[in-house]
Amino acid sequence: MLTTIAQAVVNGLLIGGIYALVSIGVTLIFGVVKIVNFAQGEFVMIGMYISFFLATSFGIDPLIALVISMLALFFIGVLLQHFLIRRVLALGDMPQIFLTFALSLLLVNIALLLFTANYRTVQTAYSETAIHVGAINVPLAKLIAFAVAMLLSGLLWMFLHGTDLGKAMRAASQNRDVAMLMGINPDRVYCVAVGVALALAGAAGSLLMPFYPAYPLVGQNFVLMAFVAVVLGTLGNITGALIASLMMGVAESLGIQFVGADSGLIVVFGMLLLTLALRPNGLFGGWSR
Amino acid sequence: MRRFVSQGGFWVGALAVIAVALPLLVSSTFAIDIFIRILLFAFIGVAWNLMGGYAKQLSLGHAAYFGLGAYTSTILLIRYGVSPWIGMLAGGIVAMLASLPIGALCFRLRGPYFAIATIATAQVLMLLFLKFRDFAWGAEGTTMPNLGDAPLMMQFDSKAPYYYVVLVLLAVGLAITYWIERSWMGYYLVAVGEDEDAAEAIGVDALRIKRNIYLISAFLTALAGTFYVQYIYFIDPNTAFSFNVSVEAALVSIVGGIGTLWGPVIGTVLLEGTSALLQSWLGGGHGGVQLTVYSLILIAVILYRPAGLIGILTAAYDRVIAGTKRANKSAAP
Repeated sequence: MLTTIAQAVVNGLLIGGIYALVSIGVTLIFGVVKIVNFAQGEFVMIGMYISFFLATSFGIDPLIALVISMLALFFIGVLLQHFLIRRVLALGDMPQIFLTFALSLLLVNIALLLFTANYRTVQTAYSETAIHVGAINVPLAKLIAFAVAMLLSGLLWMFLHGTDLGKAMRAASQNRDVAMLMGINPDRVYCVAVGVALALAGAAGSLLMPFYPAYPLVGQNFVLMAFVAVVLGTLGNITGALIASLMMGVAESLGIQFVGADSGLIVVFGMLLLTLALRPNGLFGGWSR
Repeated sequence: MRRFVSQGGFWVGALAVIAVALPLLVSSTFAIDIFIRILLFAFIGVAWNLMGGYAKQLSLGHAAYFGLGAYTSTILLIRYGVSPWIGMLAGGIVAMLASLPIGALCFRLRGPYFAIATIATAQVLMLLFLKFRDFAWGAEGTTMPNLGDAPLMMQFDSKAPYYYVVLVLLAVGLAITYWIERSWMGYYLVAVGEDEDAAEAIGVDALRIKRNIYLISAFLTALAGTFYVQYIYFIDPNTAFSFNVSVEAALVSIVGGIGTLWGPVIGTVLLEGTSALLQSWLGGGHGGVQLTVYSLILIAVILYRPAGLIGILTAAYDRVIAGTKRANKSAAP
């Protein structure tokens, strides 16, 4: 029994690392640009397809492809902010939500047209390998994904706290007008924020590829989870999103283990609705960023 | 917009006559099926628009009520032999009851938070109905018993009667919207939609207004759910609580023009019409084309016509009116 619980917790934590990359992206965009990116999951999907084609066409390992998909998605993010999001910033909730929403629909369906609905998988040397810690089984690919996810989260934290650009980003997220008065160019900061957020989604895609199939709708599995984590962790709060993502991963995994294979999401959504009822500002509402 | 309706009374009458006569003029069942879908989604859009357009509460979870309506009438029909006509009203009432706790939970949230919370409620309902295997057939779903031509059980042997049922639904939805638009509630709604805090400050009970409009919106959406499963003779959680229903309800309203009487109708005619044309050009088997085009239209509308396409129509109509007036003036010396 104890082993079962421990195994479920480990599984949950490992996948929680991926959720964290996606939800940190969502919360970063919300914190800085003040819009919710409903298309974040689709950028994970793009990261997965990039890694898939690099692996099948050139034999590049997804862990190396990670660099390429992060760069590609950073670039896409800058373009997205500059050509689309920037134009609806002054328009209010409705156009903002539906712009990213339409983008999500568009990307899913273009993927469907280009790549069909087939599942694509990449087998790596470490896809089937597992490490045994006592009675607990730790799949190597998931462990690597988790470690890299935590490393990237740490790097982001250092970027936000240690560099001028990062500090400018945090300043813009706290108070846009004052930040502008201090000489911060909001357009540039916004482009970088969206770029970084998409790069994290791309990283999540590459990290998933050794153990998760790519298909056009794959992003939805992650974006719903990320929304829950972002709300739980208080919109805009990066540390909150990270902790909440790991919690969601564990909650989902325990739900699957003890309520039934199809019940992971019920537990997760139940947690979301409970949080919204009891603490609408999330668990970390009082905390500073 | 208001002028468009009152001066355009003639056009509304003409439109109604065309709508009623359409099944008599067109015999192709394929075409009638498309008309039924257009009317159905226009109706769902009208129901959504009350909540999302006038009160600007961006729900992305109206599938919850669509599904509850569908399941209530189906369970009553199959388990207890109750006519779907009664089941439809029962479904509406169930949806209204469900909207109360959902509203209580979600109304404290604004903008994107509200949208996410409503997605979650619809998803939770879908997952629950997937779990209820004994009670609601689980993931396999069930087909409707085929009773042949049984108008009292909402089953017909041709498509035309279905067309008239959904036409009446749409007319009811539009009439309710028209009436609300002109009542004190409509003004309160618009006030809440424009600026909730300011509305509260001048004494509007925003929570009560949102709750009331949510009740109506949920009720109407549930009627659409019953109609839809009766029409396609099949129900399962993925159909009844389909995220696409939530999305389409919002999409048609936004493309047509939110917070306007005819916006959802215009949006549906454009989107569903385009999708039907694409289907007949390309045939089946081109998964993705339809939604790709939908999303491109939506992005274009948001960027270039954030108020919806209805603005183009009213502007054109005003120009025509102004043109005739000028012509009359110069003709009468």
